[in-house]
Amino acid sequence: MTSPTSQMTNPSAVLYAAGDLRFEDRPAPSLQDPYDVLVKINFVGVCGSDVHFWTHGHINNKRPPPTGLIMGHEASGTILATGSCVTRVAPGDAVAIEPGVPCRRCKSCKDGVYNLCPKMRFCASPPDAHGALTGVYVTAEDFVYKMPEAVGLQEAVLVEPLSVGVHAVRLAGVGPGECVVVMGCGTIGLMCAAVARRFGAGRVVLVDVVEGKLGFARGWIECETFRPEAGRGPEENAERLLEQLGIEGPLGLVGVDTVIEASGAASSIQTAINVLRPGGKYVQTGLGKDKIEFPIVTMSEKELLMRGCFRYSSGDYELAVSFIAKRLIDVKALITSVSPFEETAKAWDLTKNGQGIKNLIRVARLDTRSVL
Amino acid sequence: MASATTTDVADRNPAFVLRAIRDVSFEDRPVPKLRDDYEVRVHVAQTGICGSDVHYWQRGRIGDFILTSPIILGHESSGTVVEAGSKVTNLKVGDRVAIEPGVPCRRCDYCRAGTYNLCNDTIFAATPPWDGTLAKYYTVASDYCYKIPDHMDMEEAAMVEPVSVAVQICKVADLRSNQTVVVFGAGPIGVLSQAVARASGARKVIAVDISKARLDFARSYAADETFLPPALAQGADPVVHSEKVAAMIKDQFGLGEGADVVLECTGAEPCIQAGVFVARKGGTYVQAGMGKENVTFPITTACIRALTIKGSIRYSVGCYPTAVDLVASGKVDVKRLITNRFKFEEAEKAFELVKAAQEGVFKVIIEGVQG
Repeated sequence: MTSPTSQMTNPSAVLYAAGDLRFEDRPAPSLQDPYDVLVKINFVGVCGSDVHFWTHGHINNKRPPPTGLIMGHEASGTILATGSCVTRVAPGDAVAIEPGVPCRRCKSCKDGVYNLCPKMRFCASPPDAHGALTGVYVTAEDFVYKMPEAVGLQEAVLVEPLSVGVHAVRLAGVGPGECVVVMGCGTIGLMCAAVARRFGAGRVVLVDVVEGKLGFARGWIECETFRPEAGRGPEENAERLLEQLGIEGPLGLVGVDTVIEASGAASSIQTAINVLRPGGKYVQTGLGKDKIEFPIVTMSEKELLMRGCFRYSSGDYELAVSFIAKRLIDVKALITSVSPFEETAKAWDLTKNGQGIKNLIRVARLDTRSVL
Repeated sequence: MASATTTDVADRNPAFVLRAIRDVSFEDRPVPKLRDDYEVRVHVAQTGICGSDVHYWQRGRIGDFILTSPIILGHESSGTVVEAGSKVTNLKVGDRVAIEPGVPCRRCDYCRAGTYNLCNDTIFAATPPWDGTLAKYYTVASDYCYKIPDHMDMEEAAMVEPVSVAVQICKVADLRSNQTVVVFGAGPIGVLSQAVARASGARKVIAVDISKARLDFARSYAADETFLPPALAQGADPVVHSEKVAAMIKDQFGLGEGADVVLECTGAEPCIQAGVFVARKGGTYVQAGMGKENVTFPITTACIRALTIKGSIRYSVGCYPTAVDLVASGKVDVKRLITNRFKFEEAEKAFELVKAAQEGVFKVIIEGVQG
């Protein structure tokens, strides 16, 4: 029996198993370290991974512990208190939160790829890295980013998925004039496409099987779109896409410069390999089945450069904040709904059912900012 | 020294301190405490002396690092772990280690981006205001201490620091197999850079120095070829002379349009100039040596020949483990570089010897406090 969260000091959304979400009054964290900051959570966004936990009760067989796991990793908040060595933020500041704090001592951390830290503590990761769907959250100073006055706390939630897009485009090495295809027109695909534009891509093409998503994209940024046909195979869809773009088909040994794969779907991955030109670049950011059938000979013969892409690391959040602050990428347009905290499950269901692009959950009752 | 958490009540930390410019003395300091649970305390075994130590002693500053209060000297050290914090997992009491003397903040943009050698808040041994390793004990984060194999001795472990500098220089140069490499300077950093270049598969390593004795050593060590530049004629233009020196090097060693890589390990203006002239079009030039802060630099040549010019400072991720491996595997013989050994009590004599810069003195090391 859940008590109304209005009676709680630190109401938290705790997942126990698939379909089993409970609101509990969890002990509020405190500053552990002179570099820590205490944050009041304002808004949390819903991601496909939240939906996966909600629906299946696990990701890759990693489950919440018997004591439950606080969910949520796309968050914005307001600084409540700071440790004695904190200089970059002060109480009252609105911040976007980077949800994973690495160990800082291993080779990956020292090598500038802290997203690969084996001891990474990432929000809502079993067994005990609790997430942001809570009243008060503690993290390190260098993992919160002060938002400018003009940017609202709801927009600040979008910094997280935008950072995923930034990370993908940086790994892809997109440069001025390139022709970039983004497979998948969900939130991440849209972010990758918008960032690719800002990196100077000459043409940006979004690909998805759902026409409605492509329609939104065309109204949102300057781009082209393509809808593959279900009955056709990857080589055929690739050929049709290149014809539409006015670039010769695979046999003509021409293709696009870069593909960012943001769907994880096997057919999409296969199409992508066929649509790339020899020497082209491919970044896998979408997550789907772990093992798929893959046109490896085509990849070899074209000498494609393929890179895995995981979350974000040094400099990505800063760039994402800058894009939003300078109004270079309109993330506000992706916000489709805002549900009250008690209706977290409803927000998850909206995303699960493909409704809306980015659904938000309002955690704090009152915002310290009037601008949304 | 078997205890992991307690120290002998009578134990002290004798230290060799730079009190002010040209004013050194021995002091009786308390045994240092671990700063946090991730640190270890090391009983220092051997410490090498570097030009920077001598520079702080004689001038009291290098760039923005200015001596304003006493510091313990020394930063190239090895030792044995005598105490380990509760969160230390990579080392245990009794382990013999090479110490990486610069621990960065781990939080700034440089650290997060993978360039911890550029961190402004690095705690670096014997760089003001931080104390160095010329004391009985030194405390340091355990992930900046590297266990050495049993067959490596403490002198070799102390030499890992300059080897790491050479590893970083070659990393910055993006050295690849089969390249031609010209190294200006046959001092410790020069010859170690030659050795690391050789170990990296360089096709030809050429050492340049104005000391015949040092060139003879370099040839016996790791250089394939050596070059002694002619002296500048009276009244001659120095830059024209440097260009001639470069032409002689290219011609004498069949470098064609120039060397793929130039490692400048002297900081001397004529060498810097010759280095730019001796690089091939599209080649790489790395500045590692430190001399005059401002020099006359052939910048149009650098532009027209599309050179990549980079600075190299200290060491970054992976350098220390690579250096330990190079020494442990015998690919780099550091023992041959040690020419003079001193007891801890003779530390000032050791510094005077390095300062005198006599021929025949190469690497000077100081034994740690015994007992």
